[in-house]
Amino acid sequence: MPEATLRTLSDPGRAGPVSRLSRLAPVHWLALAFLAVALGFAAVAWATGNGFYLRLATEALIFAGLAMSVDLLLGYTGLLSLGQALYFGLGAYVSALVLRDVAPSFWLAMAAALLAGGVAGLIGGVIANRVKGVYFALITFGLAQVAAKTVYNTRALGASDGLIGIPQISIGFGPLSLDTADPLSFFLLVLALTVAAYAGLAYLMDAPFGRTLAAIRANEKRVPFLGFNAWRYKLAVYVLAACVAALAGALYPMLRGFVSPELMFFETSGNAVITVIVGGVGTLVGPVVGSLLLTALRSVVGSWTEHHLIVVGVIFMLSVIFLRKGLVGALLARLGRRTGQGRTTP
Amino acid sequence: MTAASFKTAAGAGSACALGVRDLSVNFGGLQAVAGVGFDAAAGRITSVIGPNGAGKSTLFNLISGAIRPTAGRVTLDGADVTGQAPDRLLAAGLARSFQITNLFFELPVLENLRIAAQVLERPWHALHPVGHSRRALTKAEALLDRFGLSAKARELAGNLSHGEQRRLEIAVALAAEPRVLLLDEPTQGMSHGDTADTGALIRSLAGELTVLLIEHDIGLVMSLSDHVVVMAQGRKIAEGTPTAVRADPAVQAAYFGHG
Ligand SMILES: Nc1ncnc2c1ncn2[C@@H]1O[C@H](COP(=O)(O)OP(=O)(O)OP(=O)(O)O)[C@@H](O)[C@H]1O
Ligand SMILES: [Mg+2]
Repeated sequence: MPEATLRTLSDPGRAGPVSRLSRLAPVHWLALAFLAVALGFAAVAWATGNGFYLRLATEALIFAGLAMSVDLLLGYTGLLSLGQALYFGLGAYVSALVLRDVAPSFWLAMAAALLAGGVAGLIGGVIANRVKGVYFALITFGLAQVAAKTVYNTRALGASDGLIGIPQISIGFGPLSLDTADPLSFFLLVLALTVAAYAGLAYLMDAPFGRTLAAIRANEKRVPFLGFNAWRYKLAVYVLAACVAALAGALYPMLRGFVSPELMFFETSGNAVITVIVGGVGTLVGPVVGSLLLTALRSVVGSWTEHHLIVVGVIFMLSVIFLRKGLVGALLARLGRRTGQGRTTP
Repeated sequence: MTAASFKTAAGAGSACALGVRDLSVNFGGLQAVAGVGFDAAAGRITSVIGPNGAGKSTLFNLISGAIRPTAGRVTLDGADVTGQAPDRLLAAGLARSFQITNLFFELPVLENLRIAAQVLERPWHALHPVGHSRRALTKAEALLDRFGLSAKARELAGNLSHGEQRRLEIAVALAAEPRVLLLDEPTQGMSHGDTADTGALIRSLAGELTVLLIEHDIGLVMSLSDHVVVMAQGRKIAEGTPTAVRADPAVQAAYFGHG
């Protein structure tokens, strides 16, 4: 983030579209490298006919969307949300209901989840942003608990069983169409959506909007005296994060064919925070890398012990202690030192 | 204090940019500011002096919307702005600096200024690439130059020396091109050389904008100010030209006596 800041600012006169590309920030190069690896993985999995790993990777990308939404709040604005699963689960349930009861339409499900996420984010944001710091974290936690318990106890939503039997759908893109039943197609679709989300959010976070959020994180008290209404900015990013989480959640029933109240539980919210911290706070790539890593780890460790949570917990603590900026942060610092352009905080 | 006399003061063409009337605030039992009133003439430097704890910074907090007064009024060019939020006051043309350096320490110096200058742009520029905010960038770079911070543009604000941070503090307050500028002890902790430079800089601001200055360096106050307001224990005890105020026995007892 600071690298990008400095680059654009140091010579604004030459920030044309062409030179902009050639001087892509290191974090974006990392994102591109990640994309190449993901595509390589898809090719191998497809060639070996391995649908299981494609579906697992798709799930990792879906949870990466949730983690990115946490990063918008935590990494860019300095707001710790312990209840982001509320919006993820909301998106998942809305999508499941639309696909099952209204129409098997991808676009309709996504639009409905986006709308629901936006409205719920607005309500939750108004409530949570009344307070700051640890109280904000507690309120987001409380809101998600209330929502999860409500869903858990609602018959019409399948109560503790959740909703099952979500149909597989075919998604139309003009003349082309793609089937969620096909692991490779759906993986590529989710990968494309993840890349689009990364690009869009990274752009927004480097625009004055995102930099105002960085100012709020750095010193919220000064921000109003520079003419910004900090509350509005915090509400805006909260709604944005809720929308991102809801859209990610909307993909879940398309992959798994069911949704359950666990999607809204604290474990889901907590995992998203862990993912962001392990991957690299305030980088947006970090959450994606972290999600793939932790999903892979859970799957591998889970195959030989029930207690994979212990392993994840230990990794989380190690990364908090030794990699303060997560994997991506450490990588960026290293790249910066190599090329002599990384000036990270001392 | 009636509305009629208020109108006369604001509308008489005396070009009072900032008007303060009977401003008061209580902290628990403490009357930190008690019925303070004065006018800051447009394009002039008005100083507020007084011993430690006199209520000067609290007065600035009341004027800049950081805290709400329990009584009294603040006007900007005759319009009542009492109790308005700081961001709205900034939009109305009032900016301030802080006695305790209040910057974005983990952001680069240039970025501190660019953010502060962003209000010069149209609102939708918030969603455009930073490079499109030409006015904000130009302003930020001009301020770097004016405050001798160009060599430090990429440095994090937290890594600057105390004197540099104090300069950046003033520069950030100026970035939004305010019409009224409140400076709370801008030279606090500065070296003699830096204090003199800052004094010259503040002098150069007069005419361009209206300055309200809190300053402990009496030499600086005497040489810079067009008008001086003296506070002690929350009250205004005197006001006038620097020479008149210095000669005032009440001021000597309350203020210079301590010095
Ligand atoms: N937020 C607050 N809550 C309670 N008391 C306060 C608060 N702010 C200021 N005070 C008190 O109000 C009085 C005036 O403080 P203020 O900071 O305005 O003085 P000052 O004239 O700026 O002094 P200095 O020259 O030391 O900066 C002091 O007694 C101070 O302790
Ligand atoms: Mg003070």
